[in-house]
Amino acid sequence: MTPPTATAPEAVRQPLIPPSTHRYAEVIHRLEAGGSMLPDTPENLMQIIGIYKAYAVPMDFYWRDLLYIAERVFLDPLPAFKYFPTQEYLDLPNSYQGEQSKLRIWRGGEKAHPELLEFMAKGETTAMPKLLHHLWHDRINMEFAEACMDAMFWHQGMGGRFYDYLECDAYKANADRAIKAYFKGNPLMLGLYALFPEMFLEQVRKMSYYANLGLFWEVMAPVFFEMSDIYDEGGFSGVPAAMDFLVNGIFAVAGRPIYHHVYIGGECLEIIPKSEGFTWLYEAALPYVEAVFYRTAPFRGTKSYNAQAGQVPSEQADFHYGILYADVFPVGSAGIPPTLLMQDMLHFLPPYLTELYAQHKRGEGDILNQLGVTFQRSMYNVTSAVIQALRCALLYPLDDTDPEHLMANRKFFEAQMDRFIRPEARLSQIQTQDYR
Amino acid sequence: MALLLLLLLPALGAGLLPLLPERQVLLRRVALVTALLQLIIGLTQLGQSPTELHQVWLPRIGLALDLGLDGLSAPLAVLIALIVLVTVLASPADQARPRLFFSLLLATDVGLMGAVLARNALLFLLAYELVLIPTTLLLAVWGGPRRAQAAIQYVMYGAASGLALLGGVLALGWLNGDGFSFAFADLAAMQLPTGSSHWVFALLVLSFGLKLPVVPLHGWQPLAYGQASSPVAILLSGGVSILGGYGLLRFAIGFMPDEWILWSPWIAGVGALTAAYGALNAIVQSDIRRLVAYGSLGHMGLLVVALAAATPLSLQGVVAQLLAHGLISALLFHLVGLIEAKTGSIQIPELAGLLNPYRGLPFTLGLFLLALMASAGIPGLAGFVPEFLMFEASWTPFPVATLLCLIASGFTAVYAVRVFNRVGFGRLDNDRVDYPVTVWSERFPAVLLAALVLVGGLWPGLLVGWSESTTTALALRREPFTALVAIAPSASPRQLPS
Repeated sequence: MTPPTATAPEAVRQPLIPPSTHRYAEVIHRLEAGGSMLPDTPENLMQIIGIYKAYAVPMDFYWRDLLYIAERVFLDPLPAFKYFPTQEYLDLPNSYQGEQSKLRIWRGGEKAHPELLEFMAKGETTAMPKLLHHLWHDRINMEFAEACMDAMFWHQGMGGRFYDYLECDAYKANADRAIKAYFKGNPLMLGLYALFPEMFLEQVRKMSYYANLGLFWEVMAPVFFEMSDIYDEGGFSGVPAAMDFLVNGIFAVAGRPIYHHVYIGGECLEIIPKSEGFTWLYEAALPYVEAVFYRTAPFRGTKSYNAQAGQVPSEQADFHYGILYADVFPVGSAGIPPTLLMQDMLHFLPPYLTELYAQHKRGEGDILNQLGVTFQRSMYNVTSAVIQALRCALLYPLDDTDPEHLMANRKFFEAQMDRFIRPEARLSQIQTQDYR
Repeated sequence: MALLLLLLLPALGAGLLPLLPERQVLLRRVALVTALLQLIIGLTQLGQSPTELHQVWLPRIGLALDLGLDGLSAPLAVLIALIVLVTVLASPADQARPRLFFSLLLATDVGLMGAVLARNALLFLLAYELVLIPTTLLLAVWGGPRRAQAAIQYVMYGAASGLALLGGVLALGWLNGDGFSFAFADLAAMQLPTGSSHWVFALLVLSFGLKLPVVPLHGWQPLAYGQASSPVAILLSGGVSILGGYGLLRFAIGFMPDEWILWSPWIAGVGALTAAYGALNAIVQSDIRRLVAYGSLGHMGLLVVALAAATPLSLQGVVAQLLAHGLISALLFHLVGLIEAKTGSIQIPELAGLLNPYRGLPFTLGLFLLALMASAGIPGLAGFVPEFLMFEASWTPFPVATLLCLIASGFTAVYAVRVFNRVGFGRLDNDRVDYPVTVWSERFPAVLLAALVLVGGLWPGLLVGWSESTTTALALRREPFTALVAIAPSASPRQLPS
């Protein structure tokens, strides 16, 4: 399959449809020209690529540990060591990097990223047993990855067939087999299972979302690594080119199977077999963007919400607490800047971003804030790629000459931008470089 | 020698500074060393037996260089030295016209120190008047946009206070039936004719009421504190205002006890009115400096009620309040100055989220919270001890006034919570939040004051220990609960008809 490009032809055409009157008309016109929601400036390009790289290194740990939890820890009632994936999982070949890869996205080796391994060995402190690193909180924070998984698991119903499948008899039968195999010889747990079967089933469903997110990020990490390498070689001409790379990547791996296997006693049990036909784009990528970028949840500490006062929407679809809406300075002085993800990314910032942050605001003193805003910018670019990919998949090319088709594209873009009309959205802020 | 040094050091500094080149660092160091030496000398005098120095100056008019330190003046002298030191430290690194600024500061120091050391009423008057001139200039030259108006009001009220004091002091000296003397020892033993004593007493109370100030003589204070630069506000609230309380204690209670007892219900009423007026006004202020100013006014009201009670315990509370209020208000004004310097505003509606650990002023706001808590009389901080003593001691003689003061004290918590909630919490505005961080040289004065506020709360002896014997001797009423206060065997409070 030849990946469709989002970029419009270079030749300047006469507009076939009138300008948009939408509040975000400028952004819509940019999208129609093959651009991103993020303005095309050298600094934006530098910021997003730098943060992709800083994000990808911990993400290389996230996906490995998510799969480890889904496949090996599974239903351990006391999973105290779930954040300690075995060497087997740290060495797990990424399907999209290394020599063995059938679709090689990143030119690097197939194992965990060297910077990740170096950090895991020494952390911010010094080399010591990993349990001490963990207790000292000198580690990659899997709590962030689990929060993303929880958001996907809790929101559900975001398209695709994945959630519905978790309620079907075939899934329940597979889960039942896995539960009984896992607790074989454990009458206490089996007794509890007999008493409260739904509780155990729900845990297995959760594990399936661990696998889902792990398989999603297994793709994204090499994509971001490769983008960083290309940028270092001077390969991206601007933000739209970076977005095009993402769009092409999305189409290239869209059909990647999403499954959930669990390994018990040397046997592989297929809870969600590959043969079910769940795909990366519809069962993982789109739900992930919807759940994490748009919705998430009013996490404790992010803001004081009062559900009785109507500050929390009654419909999950109306939730708007994701990174695209996150406030740098929310009430209560918490929020995106000091999250665990920002702390994780801080360890792997490329030097050019560190230098950039040193020049603005409080330099190192508020680097997590500046990093958080950069992350927000970069996720607007990723969301742009998803919007363009959806437009490619569902609607018409940008260089279509039929005004009706262009108007359909326009309505699609306007509908997407409608989601950013609410005051919490940061789309208008990221249009300027002053937002840091 | 120590007495002379306490007075001469700032005088020398004030005289030397105008001769030095206009170099910021040099001038600041000279002022700093002067204030520091003065503080060290003052500290060595704490807890010592009362000392006095007598030197004839102009005997024909009754003026003598009579200086002395006792349990009342020694802690206040230390407080003045500390406040001057903090004022130097709190002045900005790029202080405009530093030679004039530091000279005037040390000149004020001479006046303040002279007033609390004086044992001669004329000498006290001279020192008292001396304070007015440099502080007016400090207010007029370095204040806010309405500084001229503030300075005019300040000097007019100050002049009125000085004139009243002049009248009172001259009357004290001249109406003394035993001869012409302004020595404190003579004034304490004198008996004025009843008709005259009312007027003399009224003049003294008017004078010190204007300086303290109390309602309705407070007209100068909110504008002066609001328009003064932060170092000057620290000096005015922490240093200058104590002269009012000290004067009432030393002159009105010390020299005219009969009049004080006679008028004390009215004085207590004025104190309660001041406390309520100050606290209620503080609640509605949108300017933080004015809020602190009205808060300070309210605390002066509590102090006046305790003065009116004039029991050993209440007077101990008064001295403790003078010390604690000096520390707390200096801390508050310094922090308000820092907030203004970093954010460009002290308007409550314009500020929010300053506690933000990354882009706000968390250190400054943290100490601001501590200062507000101390001001509200939270146990464990310096503001609690004097308030407790004053309420405890004033309740029996003036229950209604004390109850009003208790309610006003509750309002202190209201405006403290209000200002902190608005300024500390809420959302930082990304468009405005480019505040520079505070540096350690700016933080140090606040840390020093905060540490003293904390120590004063945990170790009340720091505030009340030095003055016990002196205030017990000055007391006009006995408490029914003498067990609460350890009265020295030698001290015998004067017995007066209730």
